[in-house]
Amino acid sequence: MIVGEKVFNKNILVAVDDSDNARRAVSYVAQLLGGFTGFNVTVLHVVPEAEEDYFASDSERDAWFKQYQQKVAAMLEDYRQILLKGGFDASHVSVRSPLRYCPSMAECILSERDELAYDTIVVGRQGLSRKEEFLFGSISSKIVTHARNCTVWVVE
Amino acid sequence: MATSISHDRLREMASPWLLASQDSRPLRIHRDTTEFFSVEYGDVVDLGGIPYLIRNNAKEGRFGLDDEVKHWVKLAIDLRDGSRKVIKLVFHEKFKAHIGGIEFECFRSPRKEARILDLVAGKKNFMHGYWEKDEKQNVVRVLDFIYGPPLSNYIQNLKLDHQTYFFDQFPNILDQFIECICGIQFLHNHGEKHGDIRRDHILIDRENGHYRWIDFDFNYRHRENIFGYDLFGLGNVLVFLAGMGDVLLQDLSLKDHPALNALNEEDLNIVFHNRVVNLKKIYPYIPHALNQILLHFSKGANRFYETTGQLLDDLRDFRNG
Repeated sequence: MIVGEKVFNKNILVAVDDSDNARRAVSYVAQLLGGFTGFNVTVLHVVPEAEEDYFASDSERDAWFKQYQQKVAAMLEDYRQILLKGGFDASHVSVRSPLRYCPSMAECILSERDELAYDTIVVGRQGLSRKEEFLFGSISSKIVTHARNCTVWVVE
Repeated sequence: MATSISHDRLREMASPWLLASQDSRPLRIHRDTTEFFSVEYGDVVDLGGIPYLIRNNAKEGRFGLDDEVKHWVKLAIDLRDGSRKVIKLVFHEKFKAHIGGIEFECFRSPRKEARILDLVAGKKNFMHGYWEKDEKQNVVRVLDFIYGPPLSNYIQNLKLDHQTYFFDQFPNILDQFIECICGIQFLHNHGEKHGDIRRDHILIDRENGHYRWIDFDFNYRHRENIFGYDLFGLGNVLVFLAGMGDVLLQDLSLKDHPALNALNEEDLNIVFHNRVVNLKKIYPYIPHALNQILLHFSKGANRFYETTGQLLDDLRDFRNG
């Protein structure tokens, strides 16, 4: 190591949803880093607070949220298994699913990174068309644009 | 709280608007509006003690299609003073919308509209009204009726050539529209989307000439950019205004317009590929600075507006330039 050079930690934050792109991002990390020592991987799915406007009643919202949480738990376990099969030790793989108010998912992911000190974020590229990006925005593009003090891997 | 007015007195108050044939039957008074189909012409809705006489269901037409009856939206009379109101009953509608081949989830939210009514009370570029829960806790909105045409109708009914329109009328129209964008910026600054920005969702108030946004109950499940769809709507209205209507490839083709051969893919709307956005190729006197703003909504755009503030900055620079 060169004296005075920034030291990067080996903490990797993989931000996921239930898309094929996210699954590819997890597989990439498993294949690239599985079996190496020193790496800690956290698979993160930020659960956006359900918009109250979307539901006709609080009970409808609660039912939706319960079902969503079950789905997220199953998804994260699936991704954890991919990492374990890739050669990661279970003690170096964790999953997180914090509930956040998320007008911007990218900003929520970046604030998680800030809190937990990961030097690398991994996301899957969504493969949006230009008009989709125009209408709805791209999480990965925004993370790349706004990330500071960390490296971003965008998995194709 | 139910109205303290007697049935006979209500009938007397309603009689100027009732047909003679209805004079004999008892008035039906609704305090639970859940079944909005059963709230009919000649009925009274009692909201928090205020009686409203129901007239017609509202209709909404667009793009030359027949008017669609909105059964949950009632035109009404406030029986206390005879003023016209629009009463929106609760309709929780969820559906998939498709725009330019992209599917996204939309829904109606009475609570959103109620929040925005509170937020924009007294602001000149919005419709006004209040909300009240009926006895089944339905969030019913009571809107002041705006006398005046939709902006779209006003533009489409102008009997002017484009050049005359552009130099004589458009500057004032643009200034009014800039105020409307400021209104949307105000919503966004408070975390609210309009949700359904369209050229016919701005009414020109005949009383004072103000452009006023209507219909706040529509919502969509946003992805990364919460306000992206609103911005897209603003861009479409802006291009419509600058062009004195949509400039469509089909129309240009029918007229064998000389600019047709100069147009390419990049000159078209990023989502609606039959609409020309690069209007300077059709109307060469359109200033470069304005055309550059329009091009942010084209297929060839290098960057998109992400906030209303960015769009407003460019429009103000153009107006002040």
